[in-house]
Amino acid sequence: MNPATARRASVFAGIVLAVAIPGLMTDYYRSLAALAVIVAILILSLNLLTGFVGQISFCQYTFAGLGAMTVGALSGAQGHHWSFWISMPLGVLFAALGGFLVGIPALRLSGLFLAILTLGVALGADRYLFANGTWNSFTGGVNPRTPSRPTLFGYHLTGQYSFYLFAFVIFLLVALLVWNMRIGKTGRVLRAIRESEVAASTMGLNLVKWKLAAFTVSAAIAGLGGALLAVQIGSVSPASYDFLHSITLAAVVVVAGVGSLASAAIGGLFVWWVPELLNHLGVNAQFFPLILGTLLVTQLVFAPQGGVVKLQHDLGKLLKIGGRRAALEPELAEVL
Amino acid sequence: MGILASGWSLLPSFTVIGLVLGGTYALAAMGLVLIYRVSGVLNFAHGAVAMFSTFIAYQVAVRWHLPSVVGLLAAIAAGMVIGYIVERLTMRPLTGRPALTKVVITIGWLLILQAGAGLIWGATSYHEPVHLVSRSGFRLIGTQVVIGYDQLTTLIVALVFAVATALLLKRTILGTSMRAVADDPDTGKLWGISVNRVTAASWMAGSAMAAVAGVLITPLINFNTYSLTLIVIDAFTAALIGRLTSLPWTFVGAMFLGIAETYPRAFFNGAGVSSLVAFILMLATLAFLFRPGFSRGRTV
Repeated sequence: MNPATARRASVFAGIVLAVAIPGLMTDYYRSLAALAVIVAILILSLNLLTGFVGQISFCQYTFAGLGAMTVGALSGAQGHHWSFWISMPLGVLFAALGGFLVGIPALRLSGLFLAILTLGVALGADRYLFANGTWNSFTGGVNPRTPSRPTLFGYHLTGQYSFYLFAFVIFLLVALLVWNMRIGKTGRVLRAIRESEVAASTMGLNLVKWKLAAFTVSAAIAGLGGALLAVQIGSVSPASYDFLHSITLAAVVVVAGVGSLASAAIGGLFVWWVPELLNHLGVNAQFFPLILGTLLVTQLVFAPQGGVVKLQHDLGKLLKIGGRRAALEPELAEVL
Repeated sequence: MGILASGWSLLPSFTVIGLVLGGTYALAAMGLVLIYRVSGVLNFAHGAVAMFSTFIAYQVAVRWHLPSVVGLLAAIAAGMVIGYIVERLTMRPLTGRPALTKVVITIGWLLILQAGAGLIWGATSYHEPVHLVSRSGFRLIGTQVVIGYDQLTTLIVALVFAVATALLLKRTILGTSMRAVADDPDTGKLWGISVNRVTAASWMAGSAMAAVAGVLITPLINFNTYSLTLIVIDAFTAALIGRLTSLPWTFVGAMFLGIAETYPRAFFNGAGVSSLVAFILMLATLAFLFRPGFSRGRTV
């Protein structure tokens, strides 16, 4: 089979399964599926930054928190009762602004120091911006905001399945955007920057513009994920956007693989379904970060390209499709 | 931190509190710098190591009612064991790999230690601190400033460790080997230094310092698995002021940070503003001391 056809067929099959399977589930599992899709959007936001530009971020949930809290403050029951369709774009804009501001110092830093900076941003947000007492009209303080589900074409998305489908469509749109950026001119520019900043600027590329743009778009996508998370859960609590969540996200991206779209979907499933599985087995869900950390450590020691990417590569070799493309995926360390 | 009668009159006693806080930061930050200099790895799990070791001390001293000193020794032992495990199992197999891969591994250790401590001791609850000495104190002659014996102990321990680390690095064979490995591991090997053993020693010593810092800081903060892990960011800031290389500057930076975080509490309610101070200090240090062209190497 021709690799392009095979890929198209597998993407189509994936979409059909993703629409059909939650249709057969109970509402509880549908809500978990929706959460998984939203986390996949957050993973895409990090993928854009790490896989394409080679920048690491430990503060994606801070950007998501900006989006979520904007929606909470403007659309929440205690807030202004604005429509989701107004508060969500504003949340995305606010998150984008946050990404832009973090991107400015990030221009001068790379690798290790960027990691420290983003960790500092996440902790600064935890302990100051999102802390009770600093800006309660935005964060809600000790009383979490409770935004309600949006209405789309006159249809109120209160059902778990309808909201799941809504979130899934947004995931597909974001994936399409990221995919286009990856194969188009933008992707080539970003990869050139990742490989060598000096070479890229010699080619006449404006590093400042592109890196800032990457940071801003990545934060905007994270803000969109946060806005969806706010209406999915129906409550916005700052503790859900703390630095441990950001670090967990970064760990999931590393474990699943950097720069692959399939790894985003699988990473999203991993974040919500593994704790659920643990619950079913009668194991404390707090074992999840323990398992994740162990996976991260063992996989970096043994399979530095990332689990899902390695699987894709092996599978591709087995089926003689797409193997060449998977082989192009860089080792994490080369990416960073 | 007290009800605010008048901000300015509180400053002398807040200076003491700031220096004590700075002393614990200094211990943690010097451990961080020691590990970074010798192994080239910035340990993001440093705070988590401090947290886990401190909970060992809590288990021994508070739950088992053994003397606090036994708890402290248990914490130091725990820190050394964790440091050794991290180095032996996950750093040594990656020798020659980019430093950033190893840094991401320390994120994995952060998650493991954090979740592990949460499972053993409970993730959200607050815990009774480990008091090494009585909390009574004495009044500084001629002033209103009361200094607690526990505060004095913390300051002295921090100073002793700072001097001891300096002496270790300058005067002992192990310390000289550490500096040699920090300069150039390959040349170190030529001189017959076991690079692996020296690197492991630095991880053990650095993690033990984190453990001491963790135990000393427990009376100063509401201590749980989360809050202790967060001291990594204060340690980072202090270490950045020392450019990740200079121990004396790291010490000075930590003291400055401790005071800068404490003074705002004399004027503003809540801990928020002091956290902002730490963040701004970190941003400023990153912007001014780590301009492009700064050698990211293992200079001494």
